[in-house]
Amino acid sequence: MTWVGRRVRPLDWDDRSAGRTLFTADLGGDHLVGRVLRSPHPYAEIVAIDTARARRMPGVHAVITAADFAPDALYVHRGGPLSDRPPLARGVVRHVGQEVAAVAAETAAQAEAALRAIRVRYRPRPAPLTPTAARAAGAPTLHERTTDEPNVAMLLDMTWGDPDAGRAAAAVTVEGSFAYPSVSHAAMEPNTTLAAWDADHGRVELWTSTQAPWFIAKEVSQLLGLDHDDVVVREGATGGGFGSKSKASEHEVLAAALARAARRPVLLALSREEEFGSNKPRHRFETHLRTHADADGVLRALDAEIDVDNGSYNHMGSSVMRVGVITLGSMYRPDGVRFVSRLVDTATQPGGQFRGYGTPQVSLAMESQVDEIAARLGLDPIAMRLRNLAPEHAETLCGYRVGTNRLGDCLVAVRDGLDWDVARAAARSSGAVRRGWGVAAGSHGSGAYAYEQANRSDAAVDLFADGRVRVRHGGSDAGTGQNTILAQIAADELGVDLGDVAVLSMDSDRTPFELGAWSSRGTHMTGSSVGQASRELADRLRRLAADKLGTSADAVTLRGGRARSDAGDVELGDLVDLSGEAVDGAASEPVLSHETSYLLEGTEMLAPGKDRANLSPSYAFAAHGAVVDVDTRTGQVRVADYLAAHDVGRAINPTAVEGQIVGGAVMGLGAALGEDLVREGGRVVNPTYLHYALPRNADVPSVRAHIVAGHEAAGPYGAKSVGEMSIVPPGAAVANAVADAVGVRIRELPITPDKVITALAEQEGRRRRHGIWRRPSRWWIAAIRALYPLGLHHVLDRWGTRLGAARRARRHDPAPPPEIRMPADLGEALSALRSPRAAALGGGTDQLPDRPRQARPAPVLVAVGTLPELRRIEVHRHEGGGEHLHVGGAVTLAELARHPATPTALAEAVRGIASPQIRNTATVAGNLVQAKRCWFFRNGFDCYKRNGATSPCYAILGDHRFQHAAVDGHRCQAVTPSDVGNVLPALDAVLTLARGDGSRREVGASAFYSGPGETVLRDDEILVAVDVPLPAGRRSAYTKLGLYTGDFATAAAALSVVVGEDGRWHDVRLVLGALAPTPWRLTEVEDALRGTRPTVAGVRRLVDRVLDAHAHPLPRNGWKLDAAAGLCEQAVEEIVTGAAAAVPERPAVTPAGV
Amino acid sequence: MPQPHTLVVNGETVEVDVAGLPLLADVLRDRLRRTGTKVACGRGECGACTVLVGGRPTMACITPAVLVREPVETVEGLAAESADLRAAFADSGAFQCGFCTPGQVVAATALLRDGLPAADEDRRAHVGHELSGNVCRCTGYQAIVDSVCAVAAARDGVSS
Ligand code: FES
Ligand code: FES
Repeated sequence: MTWVGRRVRPLDWDDRSAGRTLFTADLGGDHLVGRVLRSPHPYAEIVAIDTARARRMPGVHAVITAADFAPDALYVHRGGPLSDRPPLARGVVRHVGQEVAAVAAETAAQAEAALRAIRVRYRPRPAPLTPTAARAAGAPTLHERTTDEPNVAMLLDMTWGDPDAGRAAAAVTVEGSFAYPSVSHAAMEPNTTLAAWDADHGRVELWTSTQAPWFIAKEVSQLLGLDHDDVVVREGATGGGFGSKSKASEHEVLAAALARAARRPVLLALSREEEFGSNKPRHRFETHLRTHADADGVLRALDAEIDVDNGSYNHMGSSVMRVGVITLGSMYRPDGVRFVSRLVDTATQPGGQFRGYGTPQVSLAMESQVDEIAARLGLDPIAMRLRNLAPEHAETLCGYRVGTNRLGDCLVAVRDGLDWDVARAAARSSGAVRRGWGVAAGSHGSGAYAYEQANRSDAAVDLFADGRVRVRHGGSDAGTGQNTILAQIAADELGVDLGDVAVLSMDSDRTPFELGAWSSRGTHMTGSSVGQASRELADRLRRLAADKLGTSADAVTLRGGRARSDAGDVELGDLVDLSGEAVDGAASEPVLSHETSYLLEGTEMLAPGKDRANLSPSYAFAAHGAVVDVDTRTGQVRVADYLAAHDVGRAINPTAVEGQIVGGAVMGLGAALGEDLVREGGRVVNPTYLHYALPRNADVPSVRAHIVAGHEAAGPYGAKSVGEMSIVPPGAAVANAVADAVGVRIRELPITPDKVITALAEQEGRRRRHGIWRRPSRWWIAAIRALYPLGLHHVLDRWGTRLGAARRARRHDPAPPPEIRMPADLGEALSALRSPRAAALGGGTDQLPDRPRQARPAPVLVAVGTLPELRRIEVHRHEGGGEHLHVGGAVTLAELARHPATPTALAEAVRGIASPQIRNTATVAGNLVQAKRCWFFRNGFDCYKRNGATSPCYAILGDHRFQHAAVDGHRCQAVTPSDVGNVLPALDAVLTLARGDGSRREVGASAFYSGPGETVLRDDEILVAVDVPLPAGRRSAYTKLGLYTGDFATAAAALSVVVGEDGRWHDVRLVLGALAPTPWRLTEVEDALRGTRPTVAGVRRLVDRVLDAHAHPLPRNGWKLDAAAGLCEQAVEEIVTGAAAAVPERPAVTPAGV
Repeated sequence: MPQPHTLVVNGETVEVDVAGLPLLADVLRDRLRRTGTKVACGRGECGACTVLVGGRPTMACITPAVLVREPVETVEGLAAESADLRAAFADSGAFQCGFCTPGQVVAATALLRDGLPAADEDRRAHVGHELSGNVCRCTGYQAIVDSVCAVAAARDGVSS
């Protein structure tokens, strides 16, 4: 039986899928909780730290600062002058989120309280936050560096080949600036370490989420002043890494130091906000590229100038930049390449290792320009790339000695798999949604980039007396399927069943030397070392069997768990005792172990003076094809189909290989279409899954992997690596497809709707004019906005915020958990709410996660979610005819969507809210009263609304493209987030509010909001019911633009009309959501449409006119006006021709009086 | 002052102290040592902590235990019911690191109980939409949708 090449299940699939596999945070035992105090400033001097009060607090066992490490302690990382980061800030902080101190306490609450009790005095310095700012003349410098330019940590100025000759031969040249964003790994398991200190032996044991245990031990030992062997990493599951867990991520060292200080085990887990906001994301690259090609479409020369945003410290930035620029000289065969590349220090979270390692960033520029040249020459993009293929078994400009190269086959696979020629040639839709096809190629080193000791991998294989086999290696399988592959290899070499092979990884006491699973080395390095160890063990077993059976070793084969020969068979396990070398294993069972060291030959390291090198044993190639639909009304890009064809050599486990391809491609699509760590003042404003637009299930309907089978002689069993390759092409593939669809070239990822709409408006020469000078009501706001960049923002941010309530509250201990009241009926609930300390609690999905950021969270919560009176949903018939839907405030969103009488627009709106889980819990009233939509507010910036009148609105100068008002914004630019709240005014709904004194009042849905996410509810008042009229003949629609499935609306339109038998519209109501602070009824449009038979274009004209008369957008959110108008078109279309037209909610009749 | 509250978890009645407003995820993980329910965001935004409450998928990380009145089913309790689904996951590559997997399995188990639309096209779209509350950073989702659809088809085949 051969296992290599077969589709097999992951070794521990049963445990892993049933939740029985233990990750670090799942480990029980009595341990303390660690927490980290982080810098609030991007760049500041630490004047003083006072931990005295924190140390005295109940439950606190350790508080550590830089003083607890050696005065010159630095992470090694790349070593030498590049090492610059202390384990805790020493005198200076250089990014928001940098570790300043850490505590260990008995409970999380005690640890949080201790953090607040630490007093740090900072003296802020002006902070260069972008490469442009950092390179500007006179910019404050962050470090002493060895280059001549300020804030440039490393500079590469190189020429490969003969670019002059290439330029001279060129017939076309294209030029442009591209940007690939800083994106987060967002691995599902947060970085977590459990550390235990053994005081007797001066050793520390770590259970930690890592891809590379050896590196963790290296950094922890040197920073704690221990021997490498005195840091013991234990085996545990790792929940995704993608590079983020391939080097030390600070928590390991801090947990170990806390455990040593506390003399107790400490568990330190990063929160999701810390993962996004403080951990080390992908380096942002700004690439200015000029590509030259001859008249045949052959690339002749590339000229690049690249700024790599290093962030505040060197981690792997220098090598990420090198690998990135190599893209220019590794795939095609230009005459020459010239580049100047700078690693620029900025006062932002430092970049780290991320799957693809610089290649996706540069690839975006190069592969976009290949398409631009193809378009200029009238060539098909795939045909153009086929003309540029580099030969196999040849050396590239950058010094790679490429073995097999099946890029051509990958391109052909994309052409065939997407029916490229036929589909592209077919008539294109001239409608609002345009389809486009794009391709991009890519290459990446496979099987370990050259690095100190990276060419060595050790492995051991054990055979037990009962015939079981165990592979031991020092790497870590963070989900790539590495352990399963290694078991397949051992099973084949030893002739045993896969089920008899186990894998022990990570444990540094019990596994031999291995650097870990990073830089595409998992399959190649450990695959080779485990293969070698297994083969050597098999040889020994054959010799043992030959002795026993009285034959020669050559005559023995290992199969089915037995050594077989013509002279007879023997069970493998029986050979263990015969060996005379068996030792007692952990469970004192005899075991025959074989350990070996694999040495990779033929790779070279880059060094000063050596700028071309054969970095990897083999090279992987891929071509990806994207089919996208671009909605020209909203700017939304949807991937309709995606094919990723990969040259993987031989796939050892095809299922795992396809998994790496699809997973990497989707991660790349995330960066192409939504992901971006957005910062304001150096602080990440979207450190949550809610605000970080990574792909959800429904966002990627079809992504397919295609394996171009082959055999790479340099790889183990013919295999190449695949995990990094797959994330390289998606950016350019999508950008090329968008250009193909709508003719605009977007050079900065992610391609979000704002960029598409803005580019389309420019292409069509459209411009909106708002005539603010004619509208005195806006003058005051316009003046304030104008003052913001002139110093007002700075004053409010630096000094005004100090006066605020939220800021003051953070100086005190965190509020204790609230007391929960469970009233039996509404009367009891209302009287409990009369206390000013009480607030109502529905599903809690919005309110509870926000509590930690509230200045004064309510001490008492009155649970109203189960009160029978609030749980009713039913149709009420009126005496004089007609009916309405009565919805209690505590009816869940899921129940509302399911009810048969729920109008289409309302059901559609609910379907798009958050997730099924949230819709099962969140209530209608809770949705209506949820906090405002603004990522500054929601993520705890000390803004005007959270902190008080002396604080700025961060949206005015910050990123306001998606979430803020373009109409009627005042001091706060936020909008009301409730989708239900957007629909109800269109349905003419009435809200019933009840007070503590038993009184009730009714409010029309249009009058419910008084400001962004603010309502007319009084403190002791709750929303008890919503009544939605159900007039005969009504049709309604809700259209919404978000960045991912379940996102809040960036813009939305709710339309409700009663359509007469004659097709005329009556009782028209149109509401735009997320455009103004509150849901905005377009009454002028409604009036104009009443009694007419509208067309889509006619409505658009009316809507545009009203938008132009009222809009007062911020500098970068004017595009939302176009999107909102586009959503109105979509809504009209649904009512005129779409699903809503086919099925009226109630039988159509002409209303009386018409 | 302790505040006792009764929960039914995987058919077993347990008494837990809900003073201090502990969240269901913490009660399950720390006090009942059922660590199959994962916490990846703690804000109700990723689905790693999905459990069934009264049969409905719910984010345990933002649900105060004191508000839970109906039976709770966790991935441990659903292991047998989801055996075919989990095997399909393993066969198709629907998990890699497995951290999101308990949540995916719980959400998909509820989805399969409700039944899927008949037409193939609708099925995939329906499954994709209904599982959009469960983030997976490893797999790119395709194999998850494939598995759920395949299991639904297989179960239909058996029952019809
Ligand atoms: S952990 Fe509960 S939703 Fe993310
Ligand atoms: S399998 Fe790793 S997050 Fe889904």
